[in-house]
Amino acid sequence: MESPDATANKEDEASIDLLAIVLDTNPSQLIVRQNPQNLTQILEAVIAFGNAHLMQKAQNKLAVLSCSHYTTEFLFPLPGRQVELRQIDAQYEAFSLVEKTVKQQLGSILMNAPRLSAPCESLLAGSMSMALCYISRLQRNVPAGVKMHSRILVITGSNECASQYMTFMNVFFTAQKLGIVVDTCALDKTLSLLQQGCDITNGQFLKVNQLDGLLQYLLWVFLPSPQMRHKLVLPPTPKVDYRASCFCHRELIDIGYVCSVCLSVFCKYSPICTTCHTIFKTPGPLPIKPKKKKKIDKN
Amino acid sequence: MYCVSKLNCKKSISGTITHRREIVKQIRAHRSMADTKSGRHASTSAATPLLVQSPENLECKNFQEYLRTRQTPESLEKLYSYPPICLAVFRELPEIARQFVIRILFVDQPVPQAVVSSWGAQRVAKEQLEATNCLSALSVWRVTAIPGGLAAWELSPTFKKSVRQVLLGGGKPWAITNSLERDSKPRDVAFLDAYAMSRWRCVLHYMVGTGNRSNTETEAISPDAVRILLHANLMKRDEREGITITRQGFQFLLLDTRAQVWHFMLQYLDTCQERGLVLAECLSMLFQLSFSTLGRDYSSEGMNKQMLMFLQHLREFGLVFQRKRKEHRFYPTRLALNVTNKEAAEASISVDEERMQERGYIVVETNYRVYAYTDSQLQVAVLGLFTELLYRFPNLVVGVLTRDSVRQALRGGITAEQIVSYLEQYAHPNMKLVESAIQSKSCLPPTVVDQIKLWEMERNRFTYTEGVVYNQFLSQNDFVTLRDYAQSQNVLVWQNERTRTMVVQKNGHDDVKRYWKKYSKSAG
Amino acid sequence: MVNVMKGVLVECDPAMKQFLLHLDEKLALGRKFIIQDLDENHLFISTDIVEVLQARVDELMDRISFPLHEKDP
Repeated sequence: MESPDATANKEDEASIDLLAIVLDTNPSQLIVRQNPQNLTQILEAVIAFGNAHLMQKAQNKLAVLSCSHYTTEFLFPLPGRQVELRQIDAQYEAFSLVEKTVKQQLGSILMNAPRLSAPCESLLAGSMSMALCYISRLQRNVPAGVKMHSRILVITGSNECASQYMTFMNVFFTAQKLGIVVDTCALDKTLSLLQQGCDITNGQFLKVNQLDGLLQYLLWVFLPSPQMRHKLVLPPTPKVDYRASCFCHRELIDIGYVCSVCLSVFCKYSPICTTCHTIFKTPGPLPIKPKKKKKIDKN
Repeated sequence: MYCVSKLNCKKSISGTITHRREIVKQIRAHRSMADTKSGRHASTSAATPLLVQSPENLECKNFQEYLRTRQTPESLEKLYSYPPICLAVFRELPEIARQFVIRILFVDQPVPQAVVSSWGAQRVAKEQLEATNCLSALSVWRVTAIPGGLAAWELSPTFKKSVRQVLLGGGKPWAITNSLERDSKPRDVAFLDAYAMSRWRCVLHYMVGTGNRSNTETEAISPDAVRILLHANLMKRDEREGITITRQGFQFLLLDTRAQVWHFMLQYLDTCQERGLVLAECLSMLFQLSFSTLGRDYSSEGMNKQMLMFLQHLREFGLVFQRKRKEHRFYPTRLALNVTNKEAAEASISVDEERMQERGYIVVETNYRVYAYTDSQLQVAVLGLFTELLYRFPNLVVGVLTRDSVRQALRGGITAEQIVSYLEQYAHPNMKLVESAIQSKSCLPPTVVDQIKLWEMERNRFTYTEGVVYNQFLSQNDFVTLRDYAQSQNVLVWQNERTRTMVVQKNGHDDVKRYWKKYSKSAG
Repeated sequence: MVNVMKGVLVECDPAMKQFLLHLDEKLALGRKFIIQDLDENHLFISTDIVEVLQARVDELMDRISFPLHEKDP
């Protein structure tokens, strides 16, 4: 009889692994502003990584989304008929298709992007929601008896986007519920919100310091599927900053006020909760507890 | 919906029923003949294998096993110069091995073995060892020494180059992807599926229908195909009967189509040297087809004569479709895709495709009844191998799994596992729906599955080993010495230290006797 | 001197072993065939009786099994 490990392995081998990569292509990222060539380098690494994922198993699937300051677009796969492709070198035609489609689409997105006057935030939370929708649609169309494991990889060089806090939390909890793993590869700063998301969905968070080794980092840390990860030695998870951000200013706070009805967090007291519109009474000065007089034992 | 009573159907469709009965009777007659031919009674069970030469069972190798057993390191190196073969080998590796290969793919220096060992977590050390052994056995990597004397792993340069080309580009394009003008009459997936199955079924019908020469449904297959069937021992040439199916042939019929195609192709590749084909080129072509996109046309321009002949054979078996022999354009069919990988083939069928409905047709109930919604002679004949067929309707065959019918199949060499997997693989989609509701691994009723396995185990209550028993040793030392010697010669079957009794295999007896004589002479 | 006997080692479950001992005792196969009783799961018997024994065991199994499915009369 096979050991439970062996049967689990067989099931893992038989399942479909879907990887959705959310790539931050916002030109106002620091690394892109410093050197526009960096974006090309990141793109090459991402394409090679996506193809390496497809190479693992014939039934693996890939999706690439581009996230910028004004829109989210699918780079791969594109709806409608795939472009007919003949090999010009030994690259497997499925991989050539990915490469060509991604580069073509990204090119057209960047060409048609509206001009930026000032640095704008990337719509990361929105892109992740689109990725979740795509995954959920594919999940519904899976043939009976076949298992599909999905994960989202966010590659971004943006700063912390505290204004998207609500959307991020919704995305993370949805992913947790659906069993989708969220990984993040941060190219510039440590992003505490995304770190929280990775933590609750059992994903990996990695901050990459050198762009040159990006492909190697991606292959080593993010390529193994979540079921495989406990079999390999991977970078340990750092301590996650679980501070909430207040709903009024979007700033991370340690101590604040919480609405007892809808659990929204505020840094300052306000008589009406902005989310659920419950009215609270203004608290008076805190009552002082009467000092207990010590009983002197007169003996 | 046909609403026919049992009596009516027997009368009105008597023609087809007797015909079907003919086939089943023939199969059963052949089987009992095979039994007597090999000198066994109909009632003997697996007891005799160790006493009599045991009849062989069908051995299906997967690609990894094929490479490990059939190829030497030198021939593997030659194979690795073809990118499609490397991609196929990569996908066959165990998962940990794949991770290791990807990690070293872009590293140019050899990596110390200690470093590679540290990549796996402690608790999966056994799996890691298996993966390492697999990589070494397939010559994907080899041991070298780095300055400092440490042992290190280095990917085979040809393998590394080919995989990098497949992943990133560079090198020559694969042979079948030369550009073509657009097809004026493109073939869609449904047509290709129908074509592939009708060609493949010709081969299967030939295997089952031989001897029943009046059956005009089956087309004859080419002598080449017959040669492969004979070589694979799926059929054999008999002086009286002509060419008949063998025991392994019956087991082959129970495999799922993809496994059948793969096994058949492996047998073909074994004979390819005789036909003047180069194994590496054939494998490369086979895998190029395996990785192609369904529904797309490919070009056969620039292929040499041998490869074109190979393509014609593939066309005959239904792996590719070509309108005319001289045409340069061909379409790979579903049989050619993912030829080594069962899971990928299953997962690639999406819900939209109607082929799903066509594949599954068997319903198994908890009362051991089997309902098969089919009218194909072949499928009915295969079902008749292990069930007792009760009724037949124009679109439905009803049978029941009885102890006798299953035992008959078991005697014919079919295993319980094969029966269960056949039923599972052709299970009606409604059965699969039930499966997802109750979260069980198999969509068949567990009672039925267990009972089939129990019927198999019932035949194996004994195992026999011919041997010689030694007892009444004078001293414990004598016993221990002789026992250890027998153990070292791998002929010790059973021993009991307390009663100083041991049993040695028959063929090892002379050796042990000689040793004992020598020992007692030197001691006494 | 060490005693050496040729025969067949039979491995089975304890229930089957009892059945074999019973056959041996009752001389059901015409003669005694057990050379030695080794342990709970093993017996050593004479070689020539094997085929007949297998037939008897099959007969026993047929007798104690009952059809799970009643065919229509």
